[in-house]
Amino acid sequence: MKKNNAIELKNLIKTYGDVYALNDVDLNISDGEYFVLLGPSGGGKTTLLRSIGGFIRPDSGSIVIKGKNVNNLPPDKRPTSMVFQGFALFPHMDVVQNIGYGLKLQSIEKNIIDEKVNKMMDLVGLTGLHNRKPHELSGGQQQRVQLARALILENDVLLLDEPLSALDAQLRKDMCIELKRLQKTVGISFVHVTHNQEEAMSVADRIAIIADGKMIEEGTPQEIYNKPKKQFTAEFLGEKNILIGKVHNLNKSKIILDINNDKIEIANNNYNVSKNQGVSVSIKSESIQIKKNVKPKTNEKNSIFGKVTEITFLGQFVRYLVLLSNDQEIQVRSSEEVANVKLNDQVILNWKLDDFILHNE
Amino acid sequence: MIIFFVLPLLLTVVWSVFERTMFWMEPAFTLFSYENFFFSSRLENFLSSMFHSSISVVCAFFIGFPIAIFIRRRVRKVAQHRVMLLFILPFMVSEIIRIFALRPILSRNGVVNSFLMDMNLIESPFSIFVFTPTGVIIGEIVSFLPFMIFSTFLALEAIPNYIFEVCADLGVNRRRMFKDMFLPLAAPGLFAGSVFIFVNGIGIALIPTILGGPGSVNAGLIATQAIIALDFPLAMAVSAIMMFTLMGLLYLGHRLFNLTKLLEPIS
Repeated sequence: MKKNNAIELKNLIKTYGDVYALNDVDLNISDGEYFVLLGPSGGGKTTLLRSIGGFIRPDSGSIVIKGKNVNNLPPDKRPTSMVFQGFALFPHMDVVQNIGYGLKLQSIEKNIIDEKVNKMMDLVGLTGLHNRKPHELSGGQQQRVQLARALILENDVLLLDEPLSALDAQLRKDMCIELKRLQKTVGISFVHVTHNQEEAMSVADRIAIIADGKMIEEGTPQEIYNKPKKQFTAEFLGEKNILIGKVHNLNKSKIILDINNDKIEIANNNYNVSKNQGVSVSIKSESIQIKKNVKPKTNEKNSIFGKVTEITFLGQFVRYLVLLSNDQEIQVRSSEEVANVKLNDQVILNWKLDDFILHNE
Repeated sequence: MIIFFVLPLLLTVVWSVFERTMFWMEPAFTLFSYENFFFSSRLENFLSSMFHSSISVVCAFFIGFPIAIFIRRRVRKVAQHRVMLLFILPFMVSEIIRIFALRPILSRNGVVNSFLMDMNLIESPFSIFVFTPTGVIIGEIVSFLPFMIFSTFLALEAIPNYIFEVCADLGVNRRRMFKDMFLPLAAPGLFAGSVFIFVNGIGIALIPTILGGPGSVNAGLIATQAIIALDFPLAMAVSAIMMFTLMGLLYLGHRLFNLTKLLEPIS
């Protein structure tokens, strides 16, 4: 069953001088979906989020939330609540006052507010901290107060602008799990902006990669991580093994690529490419097997030769840097040290045909 | 601190119980000066100057605080400090001249009255603008308003911008914004500005000397007149009384509003 769209963005454009902060962005976010906008800093994802929230007016394009065009509505008239970057609490109010303030503005009876605040505090894990001031709370607790303050208004969409960026790494991981759980409990759409891919992968139902004001690609975390369609995505997700070449030959099941005169073969997963087209391919460093090259010049199609230039022990795995004959470098991660492969050895790298992913820009 | 603050204060108290001689004073313990103060029109003058000062503080609050809020919220960030500098400009002119210049503005045939008459708003000129307590209050507001603006602006400047965004998201209206955000968050600045204006209002002799008339004598002027009359112990007594009154008021304020809490840094 297809879910209704909570948010529909069409042709969104926002410029600052000559710079496009948003360059023709289209995006649909479903009801009850945890959606993450992921991308490098200054790529436009915060601009996008703030446009949805009403803090920025786009130059053109339309923003529809729950079937209603909200282009001309101020933030408080939109069915959205925002969790701001950093610890954006009212410093002179205690936890209860911070959380209940939005309801107080709606002239709701005090005992109803108190009841809702208590419920919300239990939900986000602030039980017993009623009368603490923000400066008496830890970073994680402050973010929980922000979450509660936004969620208590029971809007249709929660916008989170880098909500975990001010927390340390371990706390961030814990908070990711909690955010996901919270989203499932309240059942509304969350739109979460981050530049941290681990954070994005762990919370998202769907991810959109945003860079240079443009939507690069969107998909589930698995799709984005395992089968990135664009080279940018692969690079942004930390892929080191990106080879650039052109299509040498292809048929329905295989593509043969020419990487600086080395021929490699990859599986053709319905890629839309033609002969002699320039392409880039990437492979995960853990998908490559490394072997000492005992018989030089054996040329299998799913292998490539190189020389080991660095071996680094990294705890859970060993990383080999291999220099190919065309001066490109490949990283290989192996869960254990490969016997008899030493520094400066000639090696042969093997992979499964499926492991290479082709990006057509 | 001890030499320039505590010692003079102690000497003030000590000298206030000395005995007056023809041209100076000699060590003794007499409460004559205090008697002289409390059983004469001086007490009445002192109390009314406190009252007038309070009015100045309230007026400065209602004029100065909105100006500070306006600068914080409506003036571009880069221009804010330049606008604040404009309020320093009047201090380039000597205070005597600044206050004296108010005379032709406020007098019976001064600028304000002429304007009101020309606009047919009044039939005969107001004579309460100068040589009256009103004149002193106007003088105090004109002189001390910048201090209210400075101190509250500094407090407002420390309010992080996210507060305004959160308020926009929650839909906080202007009245609420003032009551729930600006007032509590700028409280330290308001407090500092108010104390400054109050203290100077009862302490600075210059303004009632130039703009005041009967019934608008403040503590500063009483002390000055005592010094001119070579009654040093009386001058000291007036200063001591002023000091203890202020301490008492601060203590009262502390008991009522818990100043420690009011002035604790927001973080």
